[in-house]
Amino acid sequence: MSVFNPLLGAFSCARRGLAGCALALGLLACLPGHGQAPAARPPRDTLAGRRHRLPEARVRAVRPERFAVGSQRLEVDSAALAQYRGGTAADVLGARLGLYIKNYGPGQLATLSLRGTSAQHTAVLWNGLNIALPTLGQNDLALLPISGNTQLSVQLGPAAALYGSGAVGGALVLRTEPDWRPGLRGSVQADLGSFGLRGGSLEARAATAAVAVRVAASYRQAQNDYPYLLREPAGLVRYTMRNAALRHQWSISPDVAWRVGAAGELTAAVWLTDTDREIQQGTGVAGSNAREIDQSRRLVLGYRQVTPRGGQWQVRGAWFEDIINYSDQGAVSNSRVRTTQSQAEYTAPLGARASLRLGVEAQHFVAVVDGYGPDAIAENRAAAFGLLRYDPRPGLRLSANVRQAALPAGLAPLTPTLGAEWDLHRPAAPDSVAAAADRLGLTLKASVARTYRAPTLNERYWRPGGNPDLLAESGHGYEAGLRHRVAPGARLVLETELTAFYQLVDNWVQWLPLGVGGAYSPRNLRQVRSQGLEASTALRGHLGRHRAAARVAYSYTQTQKTQGVAADADPVGVQLAFVPLHRANFTTDHAWRGWLGSATYTFMSYVYTDASASGFLPAVGLLSATLGRTVALPGRTSLTLLLQSTNLLDRRYDSYPARPAPPRAYTVSLRFSYH
Amino acid sequence: MKKYLLTLLAGAAALASCSSPNDEFGPLVPAAPGVYVLSEGQFGQGGGTVSAYGINSKTTLIDAFGSVNKSAALGDVVQDMGVVNNRGYICVNASNKVEVVSVPDFTSVATIRNIRQPRYFAAASATRGYVTAWRGPYTNYAPGKVMVLDLTTNTVIDSITVGRCPEQLVVANGNLYVPNSYDNTVSVIDASTNKVTSTVTVAAGPTSVVADQANNLWVLCSQPYGTTSTPPAALVRFAPGSTTAQLTLPFASSGPSQLRISPDKTQLYYSYNGAEYKMSTTATALPTTIFMRRNFNGFAIDPRDNSIYGAVSTGYTTNGYFLHYPAGGGKALDSVTVRVGPNGFAFY
Repeated sequence: MSVFNPLLGAFSCARRGLAGCALALGLLACLPGHGQAPAARPPRDTLAGRRHRLPEARVRAVRPERFAVGSQRLEVDSAALAQYRGGTAADVLGARLGLYIKNYGPGQLATLSLRGTSAQHTAVLWNGLNIALPTLGQNDLALLPISGNTQLSVQLGPAAALYGSGAVGGALVLRTEPDWRPGLRGSVQADLGSFGLRGGSLEARAATAAVAVRVAASYRQAQNDYPYLLREPAGLVRYTMRNAALRHQWSISPDVAWRVGAAGELTAAVWLTDTDREIQQGTGVAGSNAREIDQSRRLVLGYRQVTPRGGQWQVRGAWFEDIINYSDQGAVSNSRVRTTQSQAEYTAPLGARASLRLGVEAQHFVAVVDGYGPDAIAENRAAAFGLLRYDPRPGLRLSANVRQAALPAGLAPLTPTLGAEWDLHRPAAPDSVAAAADRLGLTLKASVARTYRAPTLNERYWRPGGNPDLLAESGHGYEAGLRHRVAPGARLVLETELTAFYQLVDNWVQWLPLGVGGAYSPRNLRQVRSQGLEASTALRGHLGRHRAAARVAYSYTQTQKTQGVAADADPVGVQLAFVPLHRANFTTDHAWRGWLGSATYTFMSYVYTDASASGFLPAVGLLSATLGRTVALPGRTSLTLLLQSTNLLDRRYDSYPARPAPPRAYTVSLRFSYH
Repeated sequence: MKKYLLTLLAGAAALASCSSPNDEFGPLVPAAPGVYVLSEGQFGQGGGTVSAYGINSKTTLIDAFGSVNKSAALGDVVQDMGVVNNRGYICVNASNKVEVVSVPDFTSVATIRNIRQPRYFAAASATRGYVTAWRGPYTNYAPGKVMVLDLTTNTVIDSITVGRCPEQLVVANGNLYVPNSYDNTVSVIDASTNKVTSTVTVAAGPTSVVADQANNLWVLCSQPYGTTSTPPAALVRFAPGSTTAQLTLPFASSGPSQLRISPDKTQLYYSYNGAEYKMSTTATALPTTIFMRRNFNGFAIDPRDNSIYGAVSTGYTTNGYFLHYPAGGGKALDSVTVRVGPNGFAFY
């Protein structure tokens, strides 16, 4: 733990009141001439700097991340993503980023817990639009096939100003990015794996100077009839998993980008997913044949235009339909929600060092849900936001953002965010590294944010118990840390990041038997505090023909209920269920000539399975690995063979109480590519 | 730089040795006299337990079944337990089984698996037991069953079709009285032939039946979830010989539950509107005064000393507890934490 000692000081400061620290930080940052200013600097990755590159990427969008100064962001790079193209976001986020995923089994419900918060506290955005199921206010990661996206990143910490409702613990940001490289490229892949896994995927991209098209599709099925052991009075007894099959999972996602005139770009993206699965029950539950069909249809149309003065405006319209049909032994529960969303925003440069984005958005939901009664219910929400990025000096980046949402039960809390990054030390960089646009040196970063979560449709309309007067959950958080980048060799970069965070969620919604006739009803009852540390070190680069990357990450997350009411029996001051105190993650990727090797190890300390901290799942460390070989074939084609294994150490563990996880499993994939 | 990486790696490795919280409990069931406390557990997590409390030692063995039987899980939703001689019969609802254990030590004796949705157990003799069992899911309930058990072989030897969602039955006068909680009837079964001899219509939603000193049957009814009826709930009394001549005591709202009778069979107890009520079996009106201002999820009277046990459930994610009161009520003698969802007691 000695490594983290310097940060512990900062952390205790955070506990006393990070606002003060942030203020002090801000003051320090304003001191002129502080820090070193080397003569040769790498090009700055600012909006102002980017304008010089506009001719090649004329209407390149300004990403919301540009306004997320000072906060922690994790990204899965495209090479790693390619290994998971038959899988779902659940497979990637746990193994590659070491995030905690509450997973009921392979292909079963999988939800993300960021910084100790619950599944509803992660906003999930696809091409800039919130795709959380409006009924549940959360997403099942097992319903988000990787093939539908080209970019996947996670923003940690409260970020409602940028990502809207639900970005309390953070946001999962999915995107399909047009590929403007001219010509045609594509690949087709077949997968075969343990326990009846069969799958396939294809992707084709084509681009001319004016149009870029991509079509991706994937299919997967799995019997999941794996063996597991149960402790019985006579000893360990071997069983085979039943009623856990992924009967099918389809994902189809065509998208097109069309350059209109000299300054406009029209985009259209579609993402259709269709999943039919048996619902695995706990090993103590007998006789269930539960099954669920989940279908989502998502369509977004966007238009972006650069103005002669260097600004950009953008409009988007989207239409979503989400269907969940559940049945068990003749009992049926169906739901269908249609969502229309629209967004408009304008991003203006303010001189050479700043940019300002102003925007509005609106959402309209129509839900036909068995639990709400026979009639459709409709709900509208709207929000306005302003995002400011200002780089007063090359080594100092600031952002100030704000969002105000209007909800049916009244205004959501105003959610501002302030962020700062200050380069304390910037060494002269070798050209090779500078070309990679890496910012070398030591950077201090900090952010302060307020956030909110709008009540879900279930919380408002469920019968019995739905509470239309429920307030939005509100939260605020602070984080501060250091990022260090150094180039130990000509083609090597070592990046280390340390972050301490502290956040509170107020009006945390809890269902308690306080409704009419003792019905369970959601109430704004709790305050929950989460605080912790995140540390990571990543090395990447080339050694001759060997391309290598390795990353070690560690997280300490302490999350407790801090206030409640008498009717809410969950104790205060106890680590919340399903939040591991310690997580560690190691990933390494290697490419050498046509070979590819990759391994991930994730460690999770024990998690409590009830609020009283009496039942728990033991700590577990899981290893998975990929070995691949690509052979170039004539005619710009190649063949890749991938062998993947999960749970390589064959650990016997429950991924959720009474849900034994699969033993060691293998997948073989064969990919044929044209490029 | 390499050193730095190594330090981080070493840190990660050190984490792998982080210990888990203490999961060891006392290995043995406390000496008799004692009481078993049933905890439903969180649904789907296989966390149903029976804890054993030694009345003299005031010690508790949480999860007696797992502690004594090689950490085996008892199952999902522990609903009821009956004791016959030196055997305990535990209805584990979602696991579709009845676990048979030795009393008092709780070692596993047998598992009777072919009982779907078991609810409550009653015995007519040392060799004959009955378990009510539901059929069908919510809103599509089918007529339920009473499974007939041979308690010497621990097997199901017969089943009797009754009404929908049969609940807490009683054996009295050579008959079984089975309340059909999704109907408005009580099935009367001759315990010598295992045949339904009559079906008594009572108020909507009968959930439990007890027999008093005068051999009268008392049936507590409350309208089933999602339905409405008039009255919304009632306590119904009838004599075995004249089942249609009933005394019906209506409640103003639904929700009374947990009908119990004192060991001498002269006092009725039930839970209603967050309180426990007590009523003489000779009364002809519902009591208006509260016996104990507690919302018990389980209630029992120890036949050995008439002391009272009340179970308090504090939701589906937190441990509950039970309170032990002296005979006649008053200040609690002891309060003991048990696992999630305590709902009943059995004595040893």
